[in-house]
Amino acid sequence: MEQLFNIDFKRISTSSEKEMLKRKKNFELFLKKGLPNKKDENWKFSDLNFIINKNFNQITNSDGFRFDKKIELINDFDHNHVILINGVFKSCDIRFEEKDKVKIQKLNSLESLSNQSNNNLHNLNQALSLGGFKLELQKNYKCKKPIIIYNYFTSNLDNKIINNSNQIKLNQNSELILIEYNITEKCKFLKNTFEKINIGQGSELKIFNIQKTKSNGYFYKNISGTQDYNSTYQNFLLSSGLKFNKIDIDMVLEKENASCYILAGLILGKEEHQEIKTRINHMAPNCKSYQKIKNVLENDSKGVYQGKIFVKDIAQKTDAYQLSKALILDDKAEFNAKPELEIYADDVKCSHGSTSGSIDEDAIHYLMTRGIELPIAKKLLINGFINEIFENIPEETLKIFFEKNIKEQVSEI
Amino acid sequence: MKSEELKNQEYKYGFTTQIENFKAPKGLSEETIRFISKIKKEPKWMLDWRLKAFKRLKVLKEPNWQKPKYPKIDYQNLYYYSAPKSMKEKPKSLDDVDPKLIETYNKLGIPLNEQKRLSGVAVDAVFDSVSVATTFKGELDKKGIIFCPISEAIQKHPHLVKKYLGSVIPISDHYFATLNSAVFTDGSFVYIPPNTRCPMELSTYFRINASETGQFERTLIIADKGSYVSYLEGCTAPMRDENQLHAANVELVALDDAEIKYSTVQNWYPGDKDGVGGIYNFVTKRGACRGKNSKISWTQVETGSAITWKYPSCILQGDNSVGEFYSIAITNNYQKADTGTKMIHLGKNTKSKIISKGISAGQADNTYRGLVDINAKAKNSRNYTQCDSLLMGNKCGAHTVPYIKNKNSSSTIEHEATTSKINEDQLFYCNQRGLNQEEAVSLIVNGFCKEVLQQLPMEFAVEAQKLVSISLEGSVG
Repeated sequence: MEQLFNIDFKRISTSSEKEMLKRKKNFELFLKKGLPNKKDENWKFSDLNFIINKNFNQITNSDGFRFDKKIELINDFDHNHVILINGVFKSCDIRFEEKDKVKIQKLNSLESLSNQSNNNLHNLNQALSLGGFKLELQKNYKCKKPIIIYNYFTSNLDNKIINNSNQIKLNQNSELILIEYNITEKCKFLKNTFEKINIGQGSELKIFNIQKTKSNGYFYKNISGTQDYNSTYQNFLLSSGLKFNKIDIDMVLEKENASCYILAGLILGKEEHQEIKTRINHMAPNCKSYQKIKNVLENDSKGVYQGKIFVKDIAQKTDAYQLSKALILDDKAEFNAKPELEIYADDVKCSHGSTSGSIDEDAIHYLMTRGIELPIAKKLLINGFINEIFENIPEETLKIFFEKNIKEQVSEI
Repeated sequence: MKSEELKNQEYKYGFTTQIENFKAPKGLSEETIRFISKIKKEPKWMLDWRLKAFKRLKVLKEPNWQKPKYPKIDYQNLYYYSAPKSMKEKPKSLDDVDPKLIETYNKLGIPLNEQKRLSGVAVDAVFDSVSVATTFKGELDKKGIIFCPISEAIQKHPHLVKKYLGSVIPISDHYFATLNSAVFTDGSFVYIPPNTRCPMELSTYFRINASETGQFERTLIIADKGSYVSYLEGCTAPMRDENQLHAANVELVALDDAEIKYSTVQNWYPGDKDGVGGIYNFVTKRGACRGKNSKISWTQVETGSAITWKYPSCILQGDNSVGEFYSIAITNNYQKADTGTKMIHLGKNTKSKIISKGISAGQADNTYRGLVDINAKAKNSRNYTQCDSLLMGNKCGAHTVPYIKNKNSSSTIEHEATTSKINEDQLFYCNQRGLNQEEAVSLIVNGFCKEVLQQLPMEFAVEAQKLVSISLEGSVG
């Protein structure tokens, strides 16, 4: 492990000696435990240690860099934006919002995130974090336009690691649509992100994850959040095209009537590996959670879904649902699922379903008898399979934008 | 009678037979293994096999990933062999068997006397570490079917035992399986010759009687080409406030076109209502569908034991082979269960089906844990899994942990699971028709389990239905 990681702490700007000591201590802890491997139940289907060792000879932390390119912004719809270059907060523009209601700033690296002592990657993050953004919405404020986080990765990131920490807080009765948009130049790097989310009473947060281009990056993102009364959290994972990606979501539904939605539509291609791991904790009565994971797997790709619903004994009237569906298009592709339920309350409605298989032969036959050629028939069915996820997006402009994005991916198959 | 007034019905089979025992020295050691092997008059290869397992055991660690945790077992404080003194020399016929033993089995409802038996069921009765009697041997012999204690098979049919023992559960499999390989005492051996349909149900009845004793039985069933056998297993133990370990290994081998149906009604002592005592049922059951078109079907009704921890599995090696798993696991009071199955698809066109029903009441915890693994070469395979859990009260837990792996594009896996409580409307409807709460619950639960109960052979189905109702008594209201 020490050979793999060649870390120079001098590259990290820190405010105090104490902080530096803490970083070094965390790094030692990380080295001691190493990268997680398949012996760790959470990494059973994605042996990170193996994957990283196979693809990297040496990893260093990112250095100072100059950036003078102009980022091409999305012009399909009006939006506010935040720009992060190689994980470092660069600028933000919230021209559509009232300035005193939305606070976005650079997050100082070591602001304490949740305690995840058993997660080695958390130690790594604490050791090398470059910070990220901090976003806070004042109460009763509903954002007029979405905020897009442009994550730009430059080509000189080869064999580097980026550690990010972000914080999102929605005070009472606020609303926000956040789009995380990744743009990567051609290079192979690692990104380790920890994000903390607090959703206040009656607030609503919608997050979309999307890629502009295919990327050679290896991503891990840990999201831990809490939800207050009547709050809603929706996360749409549409980040196809990454070499490796694991999203680890841990939401705590602390108060009554909170609802949590996790929806994913992924198309995985050659040598791609994505894992979605969730843990939804129902800690109060009358909460709802809904997860729908759809994967299209081609070539030698690997898709993984590890979902867990936890229902505490007092969380009566819980309504929780998990569904994972996979279309396996190639014999080399693989889909693994572990939809787990841990339930201690009796008056609940909890269920899960999981299917995996290839495209329905009957449906293809039907289309072909109508004069549609095989490749087109296949594309049509794949599109229909994935499109189901978009039905849950009420904003028409966004829906069109995401659908367009997915269509491009399907046409590559 | 109001439901609150209902007390837990005492465990019916909790009596102890006062009998003089002949035991191996306490503790797990090479001497104990040599002792067991010697007393069973085993050939050298068998002893070597045991010792090899023991050597392996020393490096293995007890697994700890399971949901039900238990206090550390002191393996040195256990007897690994205990048999009634009268069984030291194997009785030649039923008339030579100690009447006390026969009486015990009569009390359990398993008369060993052939005339009194339900015709159509041959029984091998295992008492602690020895087989007491095997019925209907003559009739089975005529067809060439071998049904005998495994210790007898080791002496009389060594070629079969050598060939198949440990071929499904290797000696270095996991801690409890390896422990069993080292110290197993008795169990049943079944061999069905080619193209033979076993004319009757074969059955083994396991009884733990002695205290501070672990029971380590080993069962091996081989169904040769084109044969069929249905095998039943039942078990009980006295009420004691100590926890007793039961670590059995069951191996099934089905060759071309053969079918094995294995049914279990597990009713070990579950401990009292405060969770004191009871059996730790840590069993390894595995079947290999080795031949083409073979089929293995597991049916289990798990109502007893303080902790049930087992995963009857199928390895579907042969093309077109079929694996089935039907399970009811009922936990009440402080009982814990972590059970399920593994379906490993290796051959082409293999099919598997899993139906699991978990019911938790009181402070119990019930986990379904299963694996469906379709290998890249297992083209056109299919799996269907359904696991439903029923919760009674908010002090118990129901958990589902399925692992699903699909590695090829022509195979399909479907998995469904639900967790709910008894429907209020159904209860109300039953109450309205004059059924009291207990009866109504029993009726609804039996309906919930019906899909599995249907799979049991006639002789067991009635008993199992009663058991389901009794296990839940006192859990309503």
